[in-house]
This record gives sequence, structure tokens and C-alpha cells, in this order.
Amino acid sequence: MSTILYYTASLKNELIKLKRTFAFWLTIISAVLFPILFIVAYIFERETLVPAAGINPWEKFMVTQIENSTPFFIPMFIVLITSLIMQIEHKYLGIKHLFTLPVPKSSIYFGKLSIVILAIMVTYLYYYIAILLSGVLLGFVYQDLGFLNFSPEHLRYIKMLITSFVASFGIIGIQFWLSFRFKNFVIPLGFGMFLAIIGIIVSQAPQQSIYFPYSFSVLSVSLGEKMPLIFGISSVTIFSIVCFLITSVFGYLNIKKLNIK
Amino acid sequence: MNQLVVQTKNLNFSYSKNKKDIEDLELKVPKGSIYGFLGPNGSGKSTTIRLILGLLKKNSGTVALFGELFNGQSRLKVLNKVGGLIENPSLYEHLNAIDNLKISANYRQNISSSRIFEVLEIVNLTNAKNKRVKEYSLGMKQRLGLAISLLSNPELIILDEPTNGLDPKGIIEMRTLIKDLNKKFGTTIFISSHLLSEIEKTCTHVGIIRNGKMLYQDTVASLKESKGTNIKLEIEVDKPIEGMSALKNLKMENISLLDGFIQIEVKSKNEITNVIDVLRTERINIYQVSIKNNLEELFLSLTEN
Repeated sequence: MSTILYYTASLKNELIKLKRTFAFWLTIISAVLFPILFIVAYIFERETLVPAAGINPWEKFMVTQIENSTPFFIPMFIVLITSLIMQIEHKYLGIKHLFTLPVPKSSIYFGKLSIVILAIMVTYLYYYIAILLSGVLLGFVYQDLGFLNFSPEHLRYIKMLITSFVASFGIIGIQFWLSFRFKNFVIPLGFGMFLAIIGIIVSQAPQQSIYFPYSFSVLSVSLGEKMPLIFGISSVTIFSIVCFLITSVFGYLNIKKLNIK
Repeated sequence: MNQLVVQTKNLNFSYSKNKKDIEDLELKVPKGSIYGFLGPNGSGKSTTIRLILGLLKKNSGTVALFGELFNGQSRLKVLNKVGGLIENPSLYEHLNAIDNLKISANYRQNISSSRIFEVLEIVNLTNAKNKRVKEYSLGMKQRLGLAISLLSNPELIILDEPTNGLDPKGIIEMRTLIKDLNKKFGTTIFISSHLLSEIEKTCTHVGIIRNGKMLYQDTVASLKESKGTNIKLEIEVDKPIEGMSALKNLKMENISLLDGFIQIEVKSKNEITNVIDVLRTERINIYQVSIKNNLEELFLSLTEN
């Protein structure tokens, strides 16, 4: 049987396993959390937020929201969703069953990793839709905010979200490995949350924290034009992808040799 | 029957450096047998099963399944012919039985959806197929675990303590199911248990393990023969003291009184009648005479000390 078939079977199964889990709901809750807060903020601060004539209100609405929520929230979300998705397996003693099936361990590891990435991508998608809908809703209710008179520059905001997503890749690799490796939920969660907070703090010193994966999410936004480039690509993007590749491969090799008790 | 489905040679494994958990284990499971792997709790049964299925990395020795060495290359081919239920079944409790079976069927790839309903029927769970596993009783979970291991019509089924936590009805059902599978499909079945009575009623072969070492391995029939020639009787009477003194004249071996029951050893079944005659002559009422299971003592003598 080809590797692709094993991999697609694994993906299919991971989707079935997500049914009726908190991990599934977390993607939706996380996506609507900030848009709801922004609706509330716009309702209360409406007078100060009415744009001057001819100014596109979407620009401020989108950029403020994306720049102030994703850098801090995404690392914590990744820590949580990765642990939750792996907990489905650990809680029901799934690993020992999966590893006695005639299936390559690689398709199990990378199938699950793909689902974690997919869940994060879907959250970004939900988030983007939720921001747009919240803007339109505000526009309907408060015409003076001007959301219905302009259209958002989709390409620019989608690019911002993609940059944030790619900058988080490094953490996905690390957190997935830890969550697969340790049955105890507290280890990957505690470790991840601790480092995510450290990441936010040390991002104040970009020269050093540019090598620290848990700071990448903040740096991808805070450095802006000052971002050092490697072959014309943002160094945070490159470091994040390299970190993801290394931790995924080493994570797999570690899991493959692991004694399943 | 000569072909070995599972064979280990000089199998060694330790969880820690200072203790050997499995020591030079030589396991031989013949094709078509129901092999009972017997040992007290913590003797290394589950560890051995994990070693056979490649969940643990052995320190030394070999494991061969279906005559083929189990290693990275043969892993998928060999596991294709095996169904396993290791300790508590791995079930996604937030899903129903069908989803759980579907997951295993998807991984195994070549399983039709009608097979899912077939195995549900075999383990008698058709009525509960849409219920979330969370709402299942322990026995139902155990049966669903077995259904999952049956999905691919495996040539070898490995069951780790399959009757653990089951009520008497569940135990009898499981026992019947195991025997049926073996009889109808010729499936080799490897069962671990710490209950001798369980193994004795179900299995054709037995391996007894203690502290990671194999103490005895043969057919159940040979084990029974090796237990000695004397038959132990337990007799319930209305007047045990008088019964004892009457029986002492018979010059039989090892007469004793235990919890109000007379215990006596006879050399053959014919002597049982003599014992009854003596008691009846003394007008002692007999309520029951039963042959005691000596296997239990043999098991204890093998596994203790």
C-alpha cells in the first residue's frame, strides 16, 4: 500500500476523532473571541472611532485587531489546541492501539501533525470571516462608522495573517512533539504556556529573541520594516520553518523508537 | 499444529537497569491453538505481549510471528495478520461503536463496511452500535475492543486479560466467543490471564510465567496429567467429626477437616464409592461430594516462592 493511501486514511480518521471534542469547538471560540471584543469596543467608543470623510474604516479596524490579538494569542492557542488534539489519543489509550496496526508510524505522526496544522489554518479562516462579519454588522447598525461604504483590502490583511501563521510554525513542531511524547497534559501545556509568556517578554530584545521560536509570532508584527532579511525573505519566517522541519523530523524519530507502556 | 505462530527466543527486556522484567523467555504458540499465558499480576504478561507486538524495544533475543522475524521490514506484513486487545481497549469514548470500528477499518484499508456490522453482530453489540462508547458498560467496551481486533479476520488474536472486569455472564460469553472463533475459523488465540480456571476452561495450551521467566509450557492436558495421580475430594456431611473417625479406618491418605468439609485423597474414582459407603453405613447424611481442582494448587506451587 502506498504511503499516500496510509496518509489519507490517517487524515480521514483524525477528522472522525475530532467530532464532538472540545478541540473542535476551541477553533470556533478562539476565532470569534477578538471580533466580539472589538464589536463591544466599537459600540462603546463609537464617537471617537467615526472615520474622517473619505477614510476607509476597515484599515484601522483590521490592522488594529490583527496586530493586537494574533501575536500574543496565537502561541497560546497553538499550545492549547496541540495538547487537546493529542489528548484525544492519550486519554483513550489510542497510541498503543495505533502502533499495533499495520500502518507506518510516520503516517500516524504526520497525519496527526497535519490535522493540528489544518485546525490552526481553519481557525485563521474562521477568524478572518468573523472580523469581516463583525465589521459588516457594525456597519449595518451604525452607518456613521462607514463600514458599508468601503471594502476591505483583502489581500493586505490575508498577507498579514499568513505571515503570522508561518511565524507560528516553529512552535507547532515543538508543541506537537511534546504533546505526542508526554501523556500528561500538564507537561506540554505548562512548558508551552511558560515559554509563550517568556517569548512575549523577550521579544522586547529582538536581536536575541529572533532565535527564540516562541517570540516569532510577536516579532513578525513588531519588527515591521526592521525585520532582517535572508535571501529577501523575513528571517523569522525562515527560522520558523527551519525550526518546524527540524523538530518534526526529530520528533518523529524520537516517537518511532519510543517504548509504549 | 506444528507450525509456530508466535515464537520468541532468549527474549530479554528491562524497564530499568537493575531489574530484568523479561528473562530469556522462550514462547511457543502453535498454529490453531488457544494459548493461555498465565501468571500472577506483575509477572510480565503484558510486557511480553507488548514485546511481541513491537510496542517495546527488546534488549536482546528474537520475536518471530508466522515464522517471520518481527522487525522494521516485516512489521506491516506481520501486523496485517494480527488483531490485538491489550489491557483496557483503546476506544474513543466520545464516538459511537461504528465510528470506532470505522477508524480501525480505515487504517487497515481493505475492510468493507459490511464487515463492521458483521463484527458488531459477532460480539452482540448491534443494538448499541449508535450509542456513545462513554455510555457502555465495561463488558460492552471489552466486546467492542474484541470486535475491533476481529475486523480484519486475523490469523492470530492477542487478548490481554480479556475477561478483566467482566461479570460472570460476560465471562461466559467471552469464553464461548473465543472458542467459536478458534473452531470456526481456525484462528490462533493468545490469551493472557491471572486466572487459572479461565485458562483451564478455554485453552488448549498453557504457558506459566513468573518474574519474567517461563516456568512451564505445554498443553493443558499435559499440565493436568502432571498434577499427580491422587484425586482430592471435598465432602459435606451432617456430622463431620463422626464422618472423620469413620473414614480414618479406611486408611486413606490426607484426611482433614476444613471449614466443616471433609477433605480426603483417593487413588482412583472407584474409591469414591467406598468412601460414600463407609459414611452411609454410619448413617451419616451426605450433602455433596466434589472433586477438588488440583491445578489451582499446582499453579500456586509454581508461581509462589
